[in-house]
Amino acid sequence: MGSVSTYFENVKNAAVTIFEGMAVTLSWMFRRPITIQYPDRTPEPVKDTLPDRFRGILEVHIPACTACSACARACPIDVILVETQKHPSGKGRLLMRFDIDISKCMYCGLCTEACPTGCLRHTPVFEATGRDIHNLVVHFVDGPVVPYKHKKGRPVPASPPPGDIVQALLKPWDAEYVAWSPGEFVERDAGGGDGEKGAASPGKVEGGATGSGSG
Amino acid sequence: MENALNKQAVSDDLMILNMGPQHPSTHGVIRFVITGDGEVMQRAVPHVGYLHRGIEKLAEGLPYPSFVPFTDRVDYLAAMFANHGYAMAVERLLGIEVPRRAEYLRVIVSELNRIASHLIGVGAMAMDIGAFTPFLHGIREREKLNDIIEELCGARLTYNYIRVGGVSFDFPQGLDAKIRAFLDTFEPLMEEFDRLITVNEILVKRCANVAVIDAETAKSYGLVGPNLRGSGVDWDLRRDLPYSAYPDFEFNVCLGRGFRGTLGDAYDRFIVRVQEMQESVKIIRQALDGLPEGEIKGKLPRKLKPAKGEAYGAVESARGELGYHVISDGTDKPYRVKIRAGSFNATSIVEHASRGLMIADLVVLIASLDVIAPEIDR
Amino acid sequence: MGDFFEYLKSQWSFAQEHPALAFFLLVVGYGIVMIGFFSAFAGPVTWVERRVAGRMQCRIGPNRVGPHGFLQWLADGLKNFLKEDLIPNAADKILFRIAVYPVFAGVFLTFVVLPLGPWIVGADLSVGVVYLLAVTALVVTGIIMSGWASNSKWSLLGGIRSAAQMVSYEVAAGMALLTAIIPAGSLSFQDIIEHQGGWPWQWLVVYSPATFLAFFVYFTASLAEGNRTPFDLPEAESELVAGYNTEYSGMRFLFFAFAEWANLYVIGAVITAVFLGGWRIPGVDIATQTNNIWLQFAGAAIFLTKASVLVFVTIWLRWTLPRLRVDQLMLMCWKYFVPFGIGLVVLSLFWQVLAAAVPTWVTSAISVLLTLAGAALVAGMFWRAWYNIRAGKDAPVYTWLI
Repeated sequence: MGSVSTYFENVKNAAVTIFEGMAVTLSWMFRRPITIQYPDRTPEPVKDTLPDRFRGILEVHIPACTACSACARACPIDVILVETQKHPSGKGRLLMRFDIDISKCMYCGLCTEACPTGCLRHTPVFEATGRDIHNLVVHFVDGPVVPYKHKKGRPVPASPPPGDIVQALLKPWDAEYVAWSPGEFVERDAGGGDGEKGAASPGKVEGGATGSGSG
Repeated sequence: MENALNKQAVSDDLMILNMGPQHPSTHGVIRFVITGDGEVMQRAVPHVGYLHRGIEKLAEGLPYPSFVPFTDRVDYLAAMFANHGYAMAVERLLGIEVPRRAEYLRVIVSELNRIASHLIGVGAMAMDIGAFTPFLHGIREREKLNDIIEELCGARLTYNYIRVGGVSFDFPQGLDAKIRAFLDTFEPLMEEFDRLITVNEILVKRCANVAVIDAETAKSYGLVGPNLRGSGVDWDLRRDLPYSAYPDFEFNVCLGRGFRGTLGDAYDRFIVRVQEMQESVKIIRQALDGLPEGEIKGKLPRKLKPAKGEAYGAVESARGELGYHVISDGTDKPYRVKIRAGSFNATSIVEHASRGLMIADLVVLIASLDVIAPEIDR
Repeated sequence: MGDFFEYLKSQWSFAQEHPALAFFLLVVGYGIVMIGFFSAFAGPVTWVERRVAGRMQCRIGPNRVGPHGFLQWLADGLKNFLKEDLIPNAADKILFRIAVYPVFAGVFLTFVVLPLGPWIVGADLSVGVVYLLAVTALVVTGIIMSGWASNSKWSLLGGIRSAAQMVSYEVAAGMALLTAIIPAGSLSFQDIIEHQGGWPWQWLVVYSPATFLAFFVYFTASLAEGNRTPFDLPEAESELVAGYNTEYSGMRFLFFAFAEWANLYVIGAVITAVFLGGWRIPGVDIATQTNNIWLQFAGAAIFLTKASVLVFVTIWLRWTLPRLRVDQLMLMCWKYFVPFGIGLVVLSLFWQVLAAAVPTWVTSAISVLLTLAGAALVAGMFWRAWYNIRAGKDAPVYTWLI
């Protein structure tokens, strides 16, 4: 007897649960889909909807960089390369090179926490691609720079909105790879070599020279 | 092993079928060598190692705090637990006290992460049984969770949030309300999910009485987490080996009861996950209500150099006990880190549990164990 | 077709002079028109399915190619035409190549007997239903061929599953059709349609409780024959990768897919013809509809509408339900559907005797009651859907194309 009731129980269960399931899927025919039509049909660019703490591509605001290499030491996978040299005048150092390999970066955020001045930070920029993976190495310094030196009571140089620096340095996706070579060191004081340096290399960050001048 | 299988197949007229490493329902790159007579399998032997990255070895070359982002990659569906276990082990090694607020934050994010992981677990199981829609309904809810966690720590998958000594960020403005709002909509949507798939007769018939793992076998194979509780073993690290802030909260440990069939079948494991999500909601509500004020990071030395010794920290991850055994030789880098992950044991039981199942049942078995390939191989 | 030819002869002197040639031209022309028509039906159905699936899964679905993504099916078809037609080295090359044709033929030969109007039919065979069951069985030979010829274990398993499933469910489907044929008293589709009326309470589905249940049995069985979820075991993605068509690519794969989509229409059309009144227009008698060519086209539109609704239901089921296991599939067929079908046939026979004995208003009342039951089912579905929207704290959205 039990088996007969099980038999009809099965039929009933199947019918009822399939009906219920179909009601759920039908109800979604009348509800708004949650798809975000990235990249071209979003109400506002996805970049602007990201939270403040979003860990996107790294950028360095060189005028505030002390060339302390704390970030390079904190990085577990050696993404950051910081090279310094003795200043030709024998006093202090020169920041020769600050490269971040964003093709290797795992966006853990350890370097930004190590940075003493906050010049290294994550940005909301997340779109970077290239035919040549070497193009994803971002060179934040294109010539030797005098590192920033913090003085008590003096504010750290103000930085542009996050993302602007690295966005300007990212190459177009189909750019040919050109090996990077450091520029010549030009002794810069406030205002001095600023204009001509900026004109020579359009990718260069504006204000780089002013920063080194103040420091 | 494989040669032996081949010989047997020739003599017994059995078919050898390679399922994976690239197969839609192996949940990552795992390979199962199926010996079977048509649809009915004699057994399925798991072959793992396709996703081995040597994470344990990497730990030996890195300072203690720098290893945290690597733990994210141990279990990318529930990275909070992976962070938490390692942080706990190192804290025990160093003897650091973690502030209460940090512990509460850890619990909140862990439980959020457990919901996210279980949503994938039950959704992927439904998908392996052939229903695609529940999976995407699960993903939909998980997306909201990802948004919450992204707002908290800046990443959606590899959080690197729970650090040695505390957590990396405090709640931003308004996140508390956002989490509460999410929980309020999540509960009715979970009921809808149940109506859509959990009670569905076809799913019940596919899972009930399939791949039964009894309590003794489960224990002897070292199953942990929902898989163990699905077999009716009352064991939950959150309650039985209390850590973090869990002793402060009221919650039930969900056990399999043979809901629609035998105790320890695939359906029990499915239901345990569904119920655990509801328990997680309870825990998060309590933690948000009782969130203490204070520091989020304990007092840490500038350079972490624990004394010689060893420590073990284990958390109840979405896939069960996830433990880190850290041995220190007195330098700033660990001498050895051993990760004990639930998925490895869960995979090892496949050979035992798959005897006499059909190929379609093997898919259900793998999905019901909720294994994740990076946790198996590490 | 024959009636139409007589009509043509009276109108067209060429047809009177060369009747054989004219008839040949008519048949070939009809064939070309029909294949073109149903190709144009099967293609957009893929778009509809993907859009519906999208909405049911809280997604949008393809919406970029053409207006609202409507031309997606053309783009996909074109892509498949341009792809390389790979044949595995170890495959049985001849069988591998020809396996698609039985599948294709099995589906498209059904269009011979599926009527769209009193005249719009390939051939009104007196054994139409038997013919239909016979040609759909061709599909299984093609699938077994592809499963075997691919020389892949996954394909083979898919082929074997398909064979077991189709052969078994043919029995259940036949029983369910028989239940409806008994009151109609003919195997010809036109006769079955003419037996019904245009209004829902005149349809065969509500003629008796037996036909009402047979409708559900046939619908389920034809899903199994058409390899649709919850019976898509031959191509079970999560188990067999892609089942019998794992090794196929390009054109040949497209043909399999195409046959599957066209088969969706066949499922809908057979049910429409046998159970849901076919091309009958409510309130118009057969003679009027036959004599007016515009009413014939209106009848075809009604037929296609009903069939499309059924196609939507199959799509809807596919995106709701999980898949059965192969032994459960067999169990369901032989323990549930076949005994059920036999019971329904017997019940239907009794009903014939009973209906002759009781006054007509009793049978009419039962038909109306069954119609109300069907309406209640549909209304209940919408009520539950509404409940789900409210419970999810959502506001309903009535735009279909987002």
